[in-house]
Amino acid sequence: MRRLAIALAALGLVIAACGQPAPGTGTSPAPSATVAATASPTRGGTAIVAIWQFPSTLAAHYANQTVTDIVNNGVIEGLAETNNNGDYIPTLAKSVPTLANGGAKLTADGKKLDVTWELKPGIKWSDGTPLTSADIKYTWEIWMKDPKVNNRTGFSEIESIDLPNDLTAVVHYKSIYAPYPLNFGSLMPKALLEKEADISKTDYVRRPLGTGPFKITEFKTDESITLEKNTNYRDTSKPYLDKIIFKSVPSSQIGLAQLKAGEVQAMWNLTEAQTPEVEKESSLALLVVQGPTVERIELNTAENKEYPDPNSVHPVLGDIEMRKALLYATPKQQIIDKLLFGKAKPGSSPVSQGWAAYKEPQEGYDPAKANATLDKAGWVKGSDGIRSKGGVRASLTYATTTGDQLRERVQQVLVEEWKAIGVEVKLQNQPSAVILSGSCTGKDPRKLGTFDMLMYASTPGIDPHGTILPRYHSKQIPTQADCSGQNYTRFKNADVDKAIDEAGGTLDVEKRKAAYAKVMKALNEAYVIIWMYDRANIDARVTGLQGFQGNVWRRFTWNIQDWWLKK
Amino acid sequence: MGRYIVRRLLQALPLLFAISVASFAILKATPGGPLAAYEGNPDFTEQDRLRLEHAFGLDRPLPIQYISWLGSFVTGDWGYSFAHHLPVTTLIGERLPNTLTLMATVFVVVLLLAIPIGVTTALRQYSVFDHVVTGTTFTFLSTPTFWLGLLLIIVFGLQLRWLPLGGIQTPGAEFDVGDRLRHLILPVATISLVQVGSHVRFLRASMLETIAQDYMRTARAKGLAERIVVMRHALKNAAIPLVTVVALDIPELFVGALVTESIFGWPGMGRLFLDAAFRSDYPVLQGILAVSSTLIVLSNLLADVAYGYLDPRIRYS
Repeated sequence: MRRLAIALAALGLVIAACGQPAPGTGTSPAPSATVAATASPTRGGTAIVAIWQFPSTLAAHYANQTVTDIVNNGVIEGLAETNNNGDYIPTLAKSVPTLANGGAKLTADGKKLDVTWELKPGIKWSDGTPLTSADIKYTWEIWMKDPKVNNRTGFSEIESIDLPNDLTAVVHYKSIYAPYPLNFGSLMPKALLEKEADISKTDYVRRPLGTGPFKITEFKTDESITLEKNTNYRDTSKPYLDKIIFKSVPSSQIGLAQLKAGEVQAMWNLTEAQTPEVEKESSLALLVVQGPTVERIELNTAENKEYPDPNSVHPVLGDIEMRKALLYATPKQQIIDKLLFGKAKPGSSPVSQGWAAYKEPQEGYDPAKANATLDKAGWVKGSDGIRSKGGVRASLTYATTTGDQLRERVQQVLVEEWKAIGVEVKLQNQPSAVILSGSCTGKDPRKLGTFDMLMYASTPGIDPHGTILPRYHSKQIPTQADCSGQNYTRFKNADVDKAIDEAGGTLDVEKRKAAYAKVMKALNEAYVIIWMYDRANIDARVTGLQGFQGNVWRRFTWNIQDWWLKK
Repeated sequence: MGRYIVRRLLQALPLLFAISVASFAILKATPGGPLAAYEGNPDFTEQDRLRLEHAFGLDRPLPIQYISWLGSFVTGDWGYSFAHHLPVTTLIGERLPNTLTLMATVFVVVLLLAIPIGVTTALRQYSVFDHVVTGTTFTFLSTPTFWLGLLLIIVFGLQLRWLPLGGIQTPGAEFDVGDRLRHLILPVATISLVQVGSHVRFLRASMLETIAQDYMRTARAKGLAERIVVMRHALKNAAIPLVTVVALDIPELFVGALVTESIFGWPGMGRLFLDAAFRSDYPVLQGILAVSSTLIVLSNLLADVAYGYLDPRIRYS
């Protein structure tokens, strides 16, 4: 029921206006407003962007790689998008329909939602054919019809679409689907594709047709993707660049080397450990944008065995005092400073960005308090320095993904810290294909319940309901009968369940916000998750490439039409 | 000879069948699976999983999956990649020329270097040259390619800036032979330095054995020129073990170099295989494995046949 669609009060809240660029959370000299004030953009030129992963397909409805978005941001557009504040802004639509402007309407019985989208007039696909409302309907049809699409989020909530005229589409939702503004984030061209029996077998998978500032002119697999200026782009003053080439590099280290050598002008995705190398080069600049991704350690409160009874109690972690002590003995800030080079923030909740952000911090690092807590709770240190209570030894396993250097270092630090307070921790890492498979048949230990402590990261969407409901509602504890839930710590709290249900049943944004805050507060008071740090998205460029701007919710190429090269 | 080859080919069929069954089983036993890449998205639901499993034919029993793959494979339909949504043959067709360019260059470079060096070290056993060559070859033989490749990148790409840091051509530029050669130098050097070492060792050992034979003395006693003695009498005999080694290199022309291609970002077969392995792209993996195992079996046969041609003492029965 993760898609339990709720009307965002956002319906009302959503500000359809094109928001001012928010002050960048990044360290880069950011917003284009500043740039425009100091220098006017020059036209022309080619920028090469290094990508260390290569898109296997660019068709938005098949893709499952982040790098696909990086490329497609220049090519494919939708009806609306997200600005840095998390507000919806119109892209191809005239405005974002809301309850307030009458574009979104609840049906008479209050159970369904009708959304009327109106396209900006005169928009053309990059091949010159006009964009019409039929393309909106076609996009929905393809997503529902093609068996190979990645997922049908939102589209499966649509009952029908009416097309009163060429520029208007009325989307009838079966339910009150709150995140509707981003439902049509990638439009597909009906005229080009409707005669194809199977799009996956056409050239579209590598050269999708879009309305964006650029069009794809060459796709050389594992080598490079060339984008050239779309002469049919609706903003005739943009893009500033003539060409963008996404170049495959074998690793981010080589990408960085090429950036330093001037062979590429920008690169996607650096690790925190690479940032000092960029910072000492005056010809390079970083773009550090605090993202919504939160690295956490989840503590299993039920028995560590396959599909445990949700009411069973973990012999060690079932004791809240033990969970508290583990948090007190976790030096988040030191880990951030030493291992993440200060490019992250201590975590405090699953929702660190956007209108529902909850930023009340967890208690800080205090090993003395950890020891005192355990002493008081009756965990007695044995001759080997490890505590036990009632014959149960304080020995736990600690799992994360194998081969992740940063996570392995964090583990080393924590194993030592926790040993110092008398808790023995054994590492039990597994490949991410298993541990994060999210699949019961794939033996994901989180789903099965076969872990003590597990460290990973997760990224919530703009609307927090999709994170809060499946992860913290007691009905979402995965069981053998229904394995779909994501309440991996087996956290149960009747008040929390009530708050989540309330948030899902109201349109009032303040009420929803309060309800989510209540959930996240209760979660932290139960000490079931140690929020390690909020991670940043880090990209880099040469200083000669201008117009870069951070966006919490989107990747760095989101405003690629504003990029320009200093002559 | 003809009957021998036919018999060997017939024997190869059950072997290849067994290899394909085994590789299929190993692929299926690998944790993760092709849908793992979708799981990171919180919007991916159980229904989505079932739908994709059905679309990719993964919901059928394993024996059926295997038989249907085998049936299509032998009729030339190698299936569609799960990740790229393109025919496996298209994907291989795109990368094969790149791998052939790389590996054929390596093949030639290695032979051009290994034969003269191997012969000379044997003829001048325990000379300074021999010691230097022996030391160098052992050094490279014991060097992991991933390390050697990175070292070459650091020295010639980053420090000296003489050569590109990877890739197959300057992006955005038209094809140009000089540009291609510059991109070839480091990956070819990485693979060749290691292979030359092993081939030199082989040739040296078998040359030493040959030049101690009685017929060498006879040849010299006949008054033949030293060059003819070495080339016609010594090398032809000494090269027999090398032929086996070289014949077994042939599959590499197709398979490419997994590690080197990845380090240098060379868009070849090795990288295709590695990427497919990471994503459990079964059709691609099975296609490459089937072709490469066939080539290995064939090149073994070729080595045996060549052996008989070069050494008439060997008789096939």
